Amino acid sequence: MKPTVLVLGSGPIRIGQGIEFDYSCVHCIWALQALGYRAIIINNNPETVSTDFDTGDGLYFEPVTLPDVLAVVRHEKPIGVVCQFGGQTAINLADGLEAAGVKVLGTSPSAIAMAEDREQFEALLESLGISRPKGRAVRSLEEAVSVAAEVGYPVLVRPSFVLGGRAMEIVHDEAHLRSFYGEAESANPGQPVLVDKYLMGIEAEVDVISDGEATLVPGIMEHIERAGVHSGDSMAVYPPVSLTPEVQRAMVLDACRIARSLGVHGLMNIQFVVAPGPDGALRPYVLEVNPRASRTVPYLSKVTGIPMVDLATRCMMGQTLGELGYEGGLWVLDPKSVREAAKAGPCPPHAGGRIIPESEFIAGVPTFPEPILYAVKAPVFSFQKLARVEPSLGPEMKSTGEILGIDFRYEAALYKALVASGIHFREHGDVVLTVNDADKAKAVEVAREIVAAGIPIIATSGTANALRDAGIRCRDAAKIQEGSPNLLDLIASGEVSLMINTPHVGRQASDESARIRRACIESGVPCVTNIDTAGALARAIRLYADPTATECRRLEEYLQGASA
Amino acid sequence: MKILVIGSGPIVIGQAAEFDYAGTQACKSLKEEGHEVVLINSNPATIMTDPGVADALYIEPLNVDFCERVIARERPDALLPTLGGQTGLNLATQLSDQGILEKYDVKLLGTPLTAIRKAEDREQFRALMREIKEPVPESWIVETPEQLEELLDIVPYPCIIRPAYTLGGTGGGIANTREELLEIGNIGLKLSLRSQIMVERSLLGWKEIEYEVMRDSKGNCITVCNMENFDPMGVHTGDSIVVAPSQTLSDLEYHMMRTASLKIINALGIEGGCNVQMALNPDGFDYYIIEVNPRVSRSSALASKATGYPIARVAAKIAVGLTLDEIENQVTKTTKACFEPALDYCVVKIPRWPFDKFATGDRTLFTQMKATGEVMAIDRSFEAALMKAVRGLEVKQRDLWHEKFVGQPDQELRAAIKQPTDERLWAIAEGLRRGFSVDEVHKLCRVDRWFLRKMAAMVANPFEPVASPVYKMVDTCAGEFESRTPYYYATQEAFGDA
Repeated sequence: MKPTVLVLGSGPIRIGQGIEFDYSCVHCIWALQALGYRAIIINNNPETVSTDFDTGDGLYFEPVTLPDVLAVVRHEKPIGVVCQFGGQTAINLADGLEAAGVKVLGTSPSAIAMAEDREQFEALLESLGISRPKGRAVRSLEEAVSVAAEVGYPVLVRPSFVLGGRAMEIVHDEAHLRSFYGEAESANPGQPVLVDKYLMGIEAEVDVISDGEATLVPGIMEHIERAGVHSGDSMAVYPPVSLTPEVQRAMVLDACRIARSLGVHGLMNIQFVVAPGPDGALRPYVLEVNPRASRTVPYLSKVTGIPMVDLATRCMMGQTLGELGYEGGLWVLDPKSVREAAKAGPCPPHAGGRIIPESEFIAGVPTFPEPILYAVKAPVFSFQKLARVEPSLGPEMKSTGEILGIDFRYEAALYKALVASGIHFREHGDVVLTVNDADKAKAVEVAREIVAAGIPIIATSGTANALRDAGIRCRDAAKIQEGSPNLLDLIASGEVSLMINTPHVGRQASDESARIRRACIESGVPCVTNIDTAGALARAIRLYADPTATECRRLEEYLQGASA
Repeated sequence: MKILVIGSGPIVIGQAAEFDYAGTQACKSLKEEGHEVVLINSNPATIMTDPGVADALYIEPLNVDFCERVIARERPDALLPTLGGQTGLNLATQLSDQGILEKYDVKLLGTPLTAIRKAEDREQFRALMREIKEPVPESWIVETPEQLEELLDIVPYPCIIRPAYTLGGTGGGIANTREELLEIGNIGLKLSLRSQIMVERSLLGWKEIEYEVMRDSKGNCITVCNMENFDPMGVHTGDSIVVAPSQTLSDLEYHMMRTASLKIINALGIEGGCNVQMALNPDGFDYYIIEVNPRVSRSSALASKATGYPIARVAAKIAVGLTLDEIENQVTKTTKACFEPALDYCVVKIPRWPFDKFATGDRTLFTQMKATGEVMAIDRSFEAALMKAVRGLEVKQRDLWHEKFVGQPDQELRAAIKQPTDERLWAIAEGLRRGFSVDEVHKLCRVDRWFLRKMAAMVANPFEPVASPVYKMVDTCAGEFESRTPYYYATQEAFGDA
């Protein structure tokens, strides 16, 4: 009789924990079956592939809670339980399972706790000499105020152990901190609240596979929106387009060191923000580490060709990356390279490529090859269905799904990502710009591209002044408080093909921009609420007039490169 | 054959993971029959977009341009349009309307487009229902205040006013009198971007019942299962607590609606799966046909999991010409797909809403779906399945006890029982716990007394999940035939199947 392994599913689909985790669970089951185990699953979501009766060798249609899982364990007597693919639902049970004497496969519960517990994790990073934004876990408002004063505003305030950035906010001053603290505290009662220096910079993330010793980084993803937008709501591009080789090197080394010292067996996700260090040079700061499969695993698996969950499952069950034909380091796509050892192994890559080994990163800054493709992930929202929800982006996740745009050229991939996520221009109509002061300089760049593409611009007074100062022509529109006809009338008239509206600070102004954003949603006008998203759009805008300049190919053809 | 499948794209409210499940099953099913599958889907977080699921995979935007380019490159023989939700179906319709399918000589498989149109176009559907003598609720389109005046003496009261092109039903409402219709109707006309409202007979409070039916090209039909909404008419079925099989219908009612569903699927000429939604008068034997979905849907995913009958898989086989009596039942491996499943357990589905994230969001439930996902629970009784479903929701509440309602004054609690929201289940439980009679609660929320009596007993004697349950099998046939599927649920009984 084959030994049994129990895989924990991710429960119902909610914002912050979507279909991506089902993808990982299903792949884990397939990998376990290939390894000769009897793979069984427990999950209670009827919409998924993991609860298809022929996915696993046994399906327990039960809630993913500790008592229900323990009952199945007593009944099935598996050799162990897999907690790292079912999102926060599953990983949260690791401790309880271990306490009940059940073997948790892969990364140990104590390592999971170390990554998730603020104080232990800080001590770990400190010992490894890895930078992170300054801050602390606090248990009272007064403590929060003193930490904020110490590290300096703005600070990021959030509850610990909560997925999807619930009750998380960028706080600019003490009054704001005092009014917001209670919300963060009550989001997860009894747990500390995290107060960290907010670093304004580019965000990036990696998902890595580790066998405890060697760590493979299948790819680095760079976020298009600056820090402050939840990673699940950010557009992300693989490979990075603006990170320097030095910064990428530091990320790979940080990832390898963290995985090794935690003893990660399986997957881990690390989020970084890139900001100037004490020497003025840009460097990555670690924002958070999730010792489990993240929502970017399916996306990254597909565009790098690395069967990430398969590899991670095998590492979890005791195989090493070396035995599987891989090694520690950064995987880069290269259609001309064939990694023979991996190809001959049980989980070959779906693409040509090579690994820049960790040793090369330790020795210095390696040469990165020219990217053969760009893959842009974009979030998709359901605001149309949810009355009274504010659609602007922030640290709290709001999207329900995601799409992927892939092409040989970055602009083309951006274009596809935007179109597929529903940001499509109407054929006629103007673009309206109304942005906050901090975004005005960038708005000028965006407007220049839009005008160059032959699309007329309408702007509200402040934005219009900034554009005219830069020599860009635009029509004026009145703000709501300036009387009729105003922006709302324009939106209702159908003359607007796209709205670029970034949230304003200050009560009246922010109420007004929220009304404008809601009006767009209710009348089906695409609305971009982040200036960096608008920048991406400006970059891709000429393709809207000529979509045939994009490719349309099978995924495997992209992975073979444009010259194939 | 080389067959093009269009996926459903990104996960949005109303179109979630169920189409990955259906699409993956269908791709496998088509390949089993020796066909080559070309897939286009923009959603990378899916199993169906994995290497190996389809023979040719396009991760490209789901619009007519890119679909045409895929067709031009791959030259598929056929398109199967009913697996990618509304997105996939709309695209297939556009491709057909714009002559693209004809240009590249792509034939449509499964349910013909004409049948899909008949099911989806309001006027065509009403005409067909009249022809086969199935009742649809009376409704009127109003575009001017004058038209509204003319209607006042004609419509049955209460009636529902739905403004066209506003979101979440803004400006809609229920009118009990002429005066109310005049007032709400005029506001609705102003709020509607196109100045159009629909006035229809109110079926609020009627039971909402669904049937999942299958038909093949030879006209063989079966019902996979029926489902009853705990929440009566007035809440989107995706936002309703749903029970399978129905629990409060008499045999006569059950068969009356089963017969109607089969009549409809035949009249439409569906080749595949179809979902029929009906409203049943709780105080009589009359019913209305509300809606028909001529494709796999969220409900069909639920029905598949509730019964063990793989609707998408069978629908794909029907689309390539197989008939129900030729398709093997994969669960038993001893019976065929023409056997109607039998359930010896009760299934409860509870939606999962995003209001923990969107604290400012409008929690009231009406005809616009708001849930992002759902949980399903299987057990031997409604009570046990309900408790299991609540426990699996991963919300703060682990049972029928909700802090928020415990200290609430009676009047407020009555309002919370009356107004459908994501929290109403707990308001009802609190009312029953406080000693409101089943009749009183029923008058407020119109939930069937059978469910309320069960809940009253549950709050009077709360029970804990047992530590050592036995496991029973979901075998599609209630133990009548030999079955080997390793699909189990826990229950508290003396003997299990596993």
